[in-house]
Amino acid sequence: MTWPRPCSGRRVTDLANQILLQLLNGLVVGSSLALVAAGLALLFGVLHLINFAQGDFFMLGGYAAWYVLGATHNYFLSVVVGTLIVGVFGGLLLTAIIWPLLRKSQVLILLATLGLSLILEQAATYFLGGDTKIVEPPLGPISLGPILYPAYDLIVVAAGMSVLVIGYFALQYTTYGIWLRAVAQNRMMAAALGVPVPRVYILALAVSSGLSALAGGLLLPLNSVNPTVGGSIILTAFIIVVAGGLGNFRGAAIVSILVGEVQALGSLVVKPSVLQVVLFGLVILLLIVRSRRQHLLVRL
Amino acid sequence: MLDVEDLHAFYGPSHVVQGVSFSITRGEAVALVGRNGVGKTSTLKSLIGLETRTRGTIKLEGTPLTGMAAHVRASRGLGYVPEERAVFPQMTVEENIRIGALLHRTGDQRGVLDRAYSLFPILRERRLQMAGTLSGGQQKMLGLARGIALQPKLLMVDEPTEGLMPANVELITNALLTAIKEGMTVLVVDSSFDLLRQLCSRMYAMDRGLLIGTYRPGDFASPDDLAATMLGEARH
Repeated sequence: MTWPRPCSGRRVTDLANQILLQLLNGLVVGSSLALVAAGLALLFGVLHLINFAQGDFFMLGGYAAWYVLGATHNYFLSVVVGTLIVGVFGGLLLTAIIWPLLRKSQVLILLATLGLSLILEQAATYFLGGDTKIVEPPLGPISLGPILYPAYDLIVVAAGMSVLVIGYFALQYTTYGIWLRAVAQNRMMAAALGVPVPRVYILALAVSSGLSALAGGLLLPLNSVNPTVGGSIILTAFIIVVAGGLGNFRGAAIVSILVGEVQALGSLVVKPSVLQVVLFGLVILLLIVRSRRQHLLVRL
Repeated sequence: MLDVEDLHAFYGPSHVVQGVSFSITRGEAVALVGRNGVGKTSTLKSLIGLETRTRGTIKLEGTPLTGMAAHVRASRGLGYVPEERAVFPQMTVEENIRIGALLHRTGDQRGVLDRAYSLFPILRERRLQMAGTLSGGQQKMLGLARGIALQPKLLMVDEPTEGLMPANVELITNALLTAIKEGMTVLVVDSSFDLLRQLCSRMYAMDRGLLIGTYRPGDFASPDDLAATMLGEARH
């Protein structure tokens, strides 16, 4: 998968403008990553499981938006409808697969979601075609002081940030948010207090799938979609979620933005390939340090 | 109020509760007593639905609960305060109480919070503190305060005074006494002679997964007497 292309910014003439440009590019990459990572973080937090099919709901979100766009010719409506369809579909599908395995070994859930990922990928290839679907950004560039910047990229940033902020406050203050955190910390006690644990699980799985689908739909004009597009994004998202703290919605969001900004600003001084190695080398280092302190890898 | 008939529970290959039958009437406080590992906690967990492999009949006010999930049993009026891990450590004291209050039948969340704080005023002072940072005694108070404040039809409390210093034992005992005086039905597992004598009208003794006798607090003159009787019964 290729992340949103850096803006060439023909009017960029000095270093300050380049830095501004790269800051914006970093926000676009970070917001996109955060949307996928937030869904994963929710699953880690509530179910303590790794869903290998998470990237496939990103892919399905892209396809859903593409097909709805063909029918409605309204891009923003297509993203919303696609997100809802894939969220509900993903929530029910994951519940049907994961629920019977919940009290069994985590390895079974890992294998089951890996199998689901392969099935969804092959099904997408068979039913939707193996070609890449491309969509033009619905908005052109706008002037931001000294630079021109794609307006749609800013929409992606705004949408990503909004979802993360809303998600954070929903987790803190809504009934289901409080229940989600309770189930994450002590499922048995939550059940004994009357929290409808199965409903909380279904909601978490649906929201998690929906967040991936929203990212897939939003990034459709920036990345296009094909049956294997979810595979590469999910690897990065996994690393971010683990680095942000397993099950930590806010941590995943912050690390996503940091990764995006470091990639963008770092590209001013080193090659992107070198930057990638350094960045994820640092993440591995962080994981080793954290695993010694908190035994996080044991939970994996 | 509660009728339990031929209750069995299994933990792995172990048959931990082997056909227990008893009943509790409305407003009564009853204890399950016995040595460690005889099936008292498993009985409570089976009643609330946290033991997965059980059989037998459980009725609350005549309504069968058998086969229902734990959260459904709780919504029907069963309350449970476990011995350990009763609180959500990364949530504030107030959030811990609100978790159950969000489901409260009357929708009276403020009332639930006020009831909990009136039982243990220290919790009001610490309402914004993470529950995991409270002392062990305060965590016990939080679990019990939430259990009582939700006003279940039957409150089951597992070892409420275990490991607490005397001052906290007194606070916990007083909170339970208040609840009982207000008409709450209570089933408690504890080994404290003083607590049982103050709270309970009857005690069911358990050994090796079975009920082996019914006693009244007046049957025992001292803690040693209670302990000796339990051990003596166990040898039979």
